[in-house]
Amino acid sequence: MRKHFVQYKSISIRMLTYSVFTFVAIAWLTIVVNVVFLLLLLLHYHMPWYLNGEVVAAELTLTERGYELSENMQKNLDERSQWAMLLEESGEMVWSYAKPEEIKDSYEMTDIARMTRWYLEGYPVSLLVWEDKILIVGTPRGAMWKYNIQFPVSWMEYVERVWYLILLFDFVWILILAVIFTRRWSRSREQARIEWIAGISHDIRTPLAVALGYADALEGSSHLPEEERQQAAVIKHQSLVMKELIEDLNLTSELEYSMQALRKELMYPAAVLREVAASFLDDVGEDALKIEMNIGKEAERIVLLADRKLFIRALRNLFHNSLRHSEQDGSTCIRLSLRKEKRWCLIRFSDNGIGYSGEMLRQLGSRRRKPSQNIRGLGIVSKIIWAHGGKVLFGNGEEGGSFCEMRMRICKKNTMKM
Amino acid sequence: MELYAYKIMIVDDEPALRKMVSDFLKKEGFCQVVTAGSCREARQIFYQEHPHLILMDVMLPDGDGFMLLRELHEESEVPVIFLSARDEDENRLRGLGMGADDYITKPFLPRELSLRIAVVLKRVYRVRDAADAGKVIMLGDCQVDLGSGVVHRQRQQDGGESAPPMEVTLTAKEYAILEKLAANRGQIVTIDALCEAVWQDGNYGYENTLIVHIRRLREKIEQDASHPKHLQTVRGLGYKLV
Repeated sequence: MRKHFVQYKSISIRMLTYSVFTFVAIAWLTIVVNVVFLLLLLLHYHMPWYLNGEVVAAELTLTERGYELSENMQKNLDERSQWAMLLEESGEMVWSYAKPEEIKDSYEMTDIARMTRWYLEGYPVSLLVWEDKILIVGTPRGAMWKYNIQFPVSWMEYVERVWYLILLFDFVWILILAVIFTRRWSRSREQARIEWIAGISHDIRTPLAVALGYADALEGSSHLPEEERQQAAVIKHQSLVMKELIEDLNLTSELEYSMQALRKELMYPAAVLREVAASFLDDVGEDALKIEMNIGKEAERIVLLADRKLFIRALRNLFHNSLRHSEQDGSTCIRLSLRKEKRWCLIRFSDNGIGYSGEMLRQLGSRRRKPSQNIRGLGIVSKIIWAHGGKVLFGNGEEGGSFCEMRMRICKKNTMKM
Repeated sequence: MELYAYKIMIVDDEPALRKMVSDFLKKEGFCQVVTAGSCREARQIFYQEHPHLILMDVMLPDGDGFMLLRELHEESEVPVIFLSARDEDENRLRGLGMGADDYITKPFLPRELSLRIAVVLKRVYRVRDAADAGKVIMLGDCQVDLGSGVVHRQRQQDGGESAPPMEVTLTAKEYAILEKLAANRGQIVTIDALCEAVWQDGNYGYENTLIVHIRRLREKIEQDASHPKHLQTVRGLGYKLV
């Protein structure tokens, strides 16, 4: 879990931006959908398809000839197959329009109470107390759905108190959705990018192997003049540089997007430091530079749980960087020290070279900034140590030269067989 | 059977790489090299030629090298070295544990490839390299016969006359140290690697004992053990035989 956290840190800012963006988008969409839905409801409420008591009553007048409904309203009721009737307080009908046959002319108080909210003989009805009479407007059977809602007041008061919690829940829910969407989306994008880089480097490796093979053969050929053998040596050297670059490119993208699965194993860092220093010295020649090792007795026993290949890679990158920025005349001195600080293993790599520029240190000190081309190798050092949950510090020594301090957590298991 | 008499099959879809590796191996002395460009071709040549070792690319046009390995291993225990162009292949190889004998990532130096081929062939077919059997290391006026573990040293006499050489026998530990250093002659061998070779344990705790053995070894092979010319100390790292 911890590893997961560290690995995600490098892209957390971008993730956060995407998440906020998606959050706003989802929230907007929800609001828009809700508003449209509400508008449709309101529109429907204000434009009822069926006429109710109030509308009908407005057109009903009492004349000398009795009750009369305007022609217009009669037409409206006919169009909707609706009917109307007027009851007296006693329950006797005094007027009706288009009343179906099965509807009675006289009603008890219980009948009226029953139909108030529901139906009359299966006809959905609406009631209106009009002057001292009751106006009943009916709609065709099955045309209206009626439902009675009621809640205790105490419950409504409770809802009033917690409504903001419901809103908060909605808010959090949308945020979670936004993060899930964003993560999935950005992971797939990054996956595509990593695959693309891996594909390109795969395609370059085979032709490079051919070039390297032949350059090596030409360099060792006794039939060629010295000058041409030298040229072949340059091609070989440059091919090896390209090999390193391809590996760096792959590692960078994989470490950046935490796609590199760490193959952790128990190891003595002291032995690994010596191994890397020795192989480096063999590569460049003992006259090219001096290496001073400072590993105390206690530090010899330190055990780390780390990806050995990546750890070696980090150390080699530091060596390469020191050598690249200094003369290979033996004046360069690289110091490697290893010591224990509480539960941390502290590896310090320093040289007496030109040191890092201010800009380099700014780039190396930040997890967000991408290191420029010339210090990409050092950027990988940081990424490797970070991926192991460690800390890295680059700086310039007081007496000149540069240093890199790497802190990695010591594995508690102190004894091991290698 | 001599090391170079073993038949090697190269399986890679890139003709230029096949030719390069095949040319190189022939130059190195491997006289029987066959090549294939696809899984289909590889199967065919495998049954015809019965190679002793296969160098195989992981990605082939008509299939996956791993699948082909599984198939071929049902027929025989032929050793396979994978030529991989992707870092991820290593993970897959480790994960699957399918008994590949080694893998090498492209691009590679041909010498590294031939070294690995030799190591695998020696291990699988238990070849005693002709050169190994009677291997003699020359260290100035001193000859070390790695076959018998005996040091023959020219004795210096005041009159300058040559006297019969002095013979000293190496102890098992001294032999192991010298063998490890000789195998990496000219290169630094770390203290840890020497401990590993002598005690099969990379633990640094043996350092003091190692120093004692090195001093005794120097007394046997160096003219002046206090100022060694051949078995040099590389401070803080290890030793080197020059």
